[in-house]
Amino acid sequence: MEQTKEKGSRLEIWIAILIALVSLTTALAAWRTANLGSTAGDKVYQGLLDSVKRQAAANNDWQQAYQDAGYERDYLVTLNGVIAQEKSTDQASQEQAAQLRKNLLPGMESLANPTSSKPFAFTSAGLLDVQQRFDQLQAQSSDLSGLDPQASFDLADSFYKEQRWQVVGTILITISLFWLGLSQLSHLRSRVLILILGILVYGFGLVWSVGVEVIFFLQRAGA
Amino acid sequence: MMDNPVTSKPERGKTLVLVLTLLNTVLVAAISALGVDATIRANQGNRDSQYFAIQASGSLIQAGYKSDYDLNTFSRWLGDTQQGLIAGYSGLLQQAAGDQPGFERLTLESQIYQAKADKARSLSVFFVDPAYAPAPNQDQPDFNTYMSDLYASSNALVTKQNSASDAYHHWSSKSDSYVAILTVLAVAFFLLGVAQMAQPRIRMLFSIFAIVVMGIGVLWTLILLVS
Repeated sequence: MEQTKEKGSRLEIWIAILIALVSLTTALAAWRTANLGSTAGDKVYQGLLDSVKRQAAANNDWQQAYQDAGYERDYLVTLNGVIAQEKSTDQASQEQAAQLRKNLLPGMESLANPTSSKPFAFTSAGLLDVQQRFDQLQAQSSDLSGLDPQASFDLADSFYKEQRWQVVGTILITISLFWLGLSQLSHLRSRVLILILGILVYGFGLVWSVGVEVIFFLQRAGA
Repeated sequence: MMDNPVTSKPERGKTLVLVLTLLNTVLVAAISALGVDATIRANQGNRDSQYFAIQASGSLIQAGYKSDYDLNTFSRWLGDTQQGLIAGYSGLLQQAAGDQPGFERLTLESQIYQAKADKARSLSVFFVDPAYAPAPNQDQPDFNTYMSDLYASSNALVTKQNSASDAYHHWSSKSDSYVAILTVLAVAFFLLGVAQMAQPRIRMLFSIFAIVVMGIGVLWTLILLVS
């Protein structure tokens, strides 16, 4: 009788130690789960900032590209007028054309290419290729246009995905805490059975959480 | 002396309470996971909504620059064509009035304007692109199709943004509901706790209350899952 009582008391101490350990693990798992959500949120924030910056750069480049196209159009239209004057038999008109070609057209041409050394290209249909000018400008502002918000979003999705799986681990560990607590309070003969169930659930939850952490760490190549 | 069945079996019903507690724990665990999933989906919807809004604003800005350039090119053609026609007509009037040098000067002027107009026409999307070019029996380009094409990309992005925003509201509302269900199940936990401590007859009553509360939680969850 005395021996059974002593055994029961020793088991209670072990259960108490186990509960303390599982409580710490629960706290750690809950922190990690929340931390994953927070990290994912940070990545989303970074991605949105990058997309605002990239869009602002794109807006600026579109404005520049169409402004250049407008100057190029004005240059080409004026040039055609000058060519018509040059072809005429009127002496005064020819002289005027020579002056325009010498003094006006170079300035108009340079206005159309303020930032690019390459002349304006044409599409196969004969229109000014604004898209190509835009691409040139984007290449020049690569520090902003090269920002990749999608990469941050993909990383955020990976953290969210890990959070989903980590929640399962946290829940398993929490459930094990419930069973361990129950085994401590229980005076039933099934106490040992409940204790074993708690330990099994805890072990499974722990392996699950560590496994999820390792798999996603490798998947993100250490990120 | 007859034994009172209640006092003689103080453990009666405790197994049922234990099973119910386990069931409630599993429910809480599952609903917590569903709640986290709903929150994550809401966050993703919110993010997508903001991302598409940024892109849509950029697309609208680009459409603005494009239409400004295209319409200016068209108006350049229109202006030069009209100037050329007026110069040509005035030249003919001068010729009719016997002013030959005036006729020649205005004819040359008309040719210069026409050369400029020809160039502007060759650079205008309204004449080069067959989608907008005037039909043989029409004078004006198809501005309606042009405008529709101009904003097609922006409209597609706004549609995406709206659907992402709807997804955000949908999942955010679900997430809030899961929190409410967890609160209901916390009440069930309390009732089961009281049942565990109470006398057998009262224990059954509290167990029934707990079952009802758990049933409400399960029903609410099922409604959320199918909605």
